Amino acid sequence: TSQVQKGLDRLTPAQVDLKTAEVVQFIFVKDQKKFPIRRADIVKHVVKEYRNIYPEIIKRVGRVFETVFGLKLVEIDSKNHVYILINKLEQLEGESLNMSPSNPKTGLLFVILSIVFMKGGVVKESMVWNTLKKLRVDQGERHEIFGDVKKVVTDEFVRQRYLEYVRIPHTEPLEFEFRWGQRADMEVSKVKLLEFIGQLHEQDPQSWTQQYRDATAPPAAPAV
Amino acid sequence: GKEKASQLHAEGSAFDPAAFAEHLLSFMGLNRLEEEDEDVEGGASGGYLPQDAWQRVANRAQCCFRTAPSFHYMMGSFLAELPPPRQRVE
Amino acid sequence: MAPPLGESHKRFLQTMMVNGIIDGAKARALHRHCCETHGAHYAHDKLDEFIEVINAQLQPMFMQIRKGMSEEDGLQYHALVNMAETDVTRMSTDYADNELELFRKTMDLIVDSDNGTASSTDILNCADSLQTKKLKKRETEHVLNRLVQDKWLNEKNGDYSLSTRCIMEMEQYIRLLYQDQVKVCHICHNVALQCQMCENPTCGIKIHTPCVARYFKGRTDPRCPACEDFWPHEIPDVYRPPSSQ
Ligand SMILES: [Zn+2]
Ligand SMILES: [Zn+2]
Repeated sequence: TSQVQKGLDRLTPAQVDLKTAEVVQFIFVKDQKKFPIRRADIVKHVVKEYRNIYPEIIKRVGRVFETVFGLKLVEIDSKNHVYILINKLEQLEGESLNMSPSNPKTGLLFVILSIVFMKGGVVKESMVWNTLKKLRVDQGERHEIFGDVKKVVTDEFVRQRYLEYVRIPHTEPLEFEFRWGQRADMEVSKVKLLEFIGQLHEQDPQSWTQQYRDATAPPAAPAV
Repeated sequence: GKEKASQLHAEGSAFDPAAFAEHLLSFMGLNRLEEEDEDVEGGASGGYLPQDAWQRVANRAQCCFRTAPSFHYMMGSFLAELPPPRQRVE
Repeated sequence: MAPPLGESHKRFLQTMMVNGIIDGAKARALHRHCCETHGAHYAHDKLDEFIEVINAQLQPMFMQIRKGMSEEDGLQYHALVNMAETDVTRMSTDYADNELELFRKTMDLIVDSDNGTASSTDILNCADSLQTKKLKKRETEHVLNRLVQDKWLNEKNGDYSLSTRCIMEMEQYIRLLYQDQVKVCHICHNVALQCQMCENPTCGIKIHTPCVARYFKGRTDPRCPACEDFWPHEIPDVYRPPSSQ
C-alpha cells in the first residue's frame, strides 16, 4: 500500500535489509523450541518503530527463508497472525547424511499422531495413554528419556501446535481428547505416516480405505 | 462418536491401537523374555526395550515430518562484556 | 549480485544447521550427496566454491560456514557460526542465564589453564558462586552434559576443553576478551589452548599438539622454531583419521 511505500521512502535500503535480518534472527530464535511466532512479538521485540512497513519486511523475510534456507514461513492463524517455519525440501528416507540422530521425542509424537489419524481425527486421551503404557511410557511416571511425559505431550506438543488437547464438554470426571494441531497439518505427510504404519503391520496402506483416502486427498487451501 | 467410528471400520481394515503397540514394540527391538509370558489382559507383553528404542522410531519417522532445522549458536547468546579493568596493586 | 542458491546448496546448509559442525570428509560426502540428490553439477574439488556461494547469501544474516582446524586431531572441520551479537541474538533460548554464566566461567578456567582444560571439580566449585542463580551439583553436571552434547565443550576423563565448534565460532571473542592470557599457535597462528609450550622463559611460544606432531615429524633433535632451544615435550604421532569410506 502507499502507506508502506511512504514508510520505505523514508528509510535507506541498508536499514530495511538490517531490519529484515533481525526478524530472520528472531524467528530462528523462537523456532529453537519449535514454538509458533506471533506477529505481535515480532513487532514488539524487533520491528518496533518500523511497524508501518511491517508488510514489506515480513515479505522479504519470507523470501529469505525460501531462497537461502529452503524453508517456508507459514501463517497458521491469519486472525491472530501466528507463524511457523516448515521445510520446503523433501525429507529423504534414511538420509544417513543427516548425521545427527533424530530427537527421540519425534518417535513419541509419531505414535500419538498415528493413533489420532488412524482413529479418524480425534481420540480420547485415555486411548493414547493406554497405548503408550504398552510402550513403557506411563503418564504418571518419570520416563528416563522423556522426563515428565505428561507435560511433554499435553504442554510442549500442544504449545508447538503439533497437538490439540481439549476438554470434552459435560464429562465428570473431566475427560480430554486429542486432535492434530495446525503444525502437524502443515508439517506431517499423512501418506508417509500411513506408509510407515503399513510397514509396521506388514499391511498395504490402502487397506485402511478411509485413512488412505484422507491421506491422498488434495490438501485444503492453506491459511496463508 | 461411536457410530461414526464403526462406520469407519466397515469401510476397510480396522485400526487396533493394541496391535499397533505390539508392532511398534517389535520395531523398537523388544527383547522378549525366553519363557512365554502370560499375557495379562490389556497388559504389556513382557521383556525389556533397548536403550535406543525411541531413537529407532524417531529415525524412521523423521521423514514423515517436514521439520525446519533450527539454528543454534553460542556466540551472541550472552552479553560479551569485556573484563573489568585490572585492580592496581599499590 | 550474489548468485542464487540451488536446492543442493539449501540442503547442504540445512544439514549444517542440524549438525553445527562436520569434518572435512563428511563435508565432501555431503557436497556430493546434495548435488546428486538435486541433479546439480558436481565437481569433487569445488567444495570451497560451493560453500562460498552459500556464504554470500548468509552474510546479510550474519551467519557463515567457516573452516577451521581441531586442536585435538588436527583435522579440518566446517562449522556454521553466528557472527552477530544483538538484543535479538541474546534472546536465544538454548541455555538459561545461569547456564550461560557457568559456561563463561568454564571458559575462564580453560583459558587460564596451562593445557587448555578445566577439571569438573573446579567447574563445580564455581557453580556455587554464580551471580545469576546458583546451580546445584546435579544441575551443573546436567548442564555440562548438555554443553558436551551440543558440541560446545569436549570432555575427557572429567576434564573439559573448548570444542572445535566453540573455538571456530568464538575465536574473535576469545582473542578480545582474553588478550592478556591467550596466545596463538606459532605454526598455524590460530588461538592455542590445547598445546605445548616452549620452556625457555624468554620465549614461551605455544604450538597446538597436532601442529607439534606435524612440525617435528621425523626430526631427531626437536628444537623450538622461535628460539632454537631443545623442545622438551613428547612429540605425538600425526593423527590419521580412520579410513572413511
Ligand atoms: Zn597450530
Ligand atoms: Zn622457544
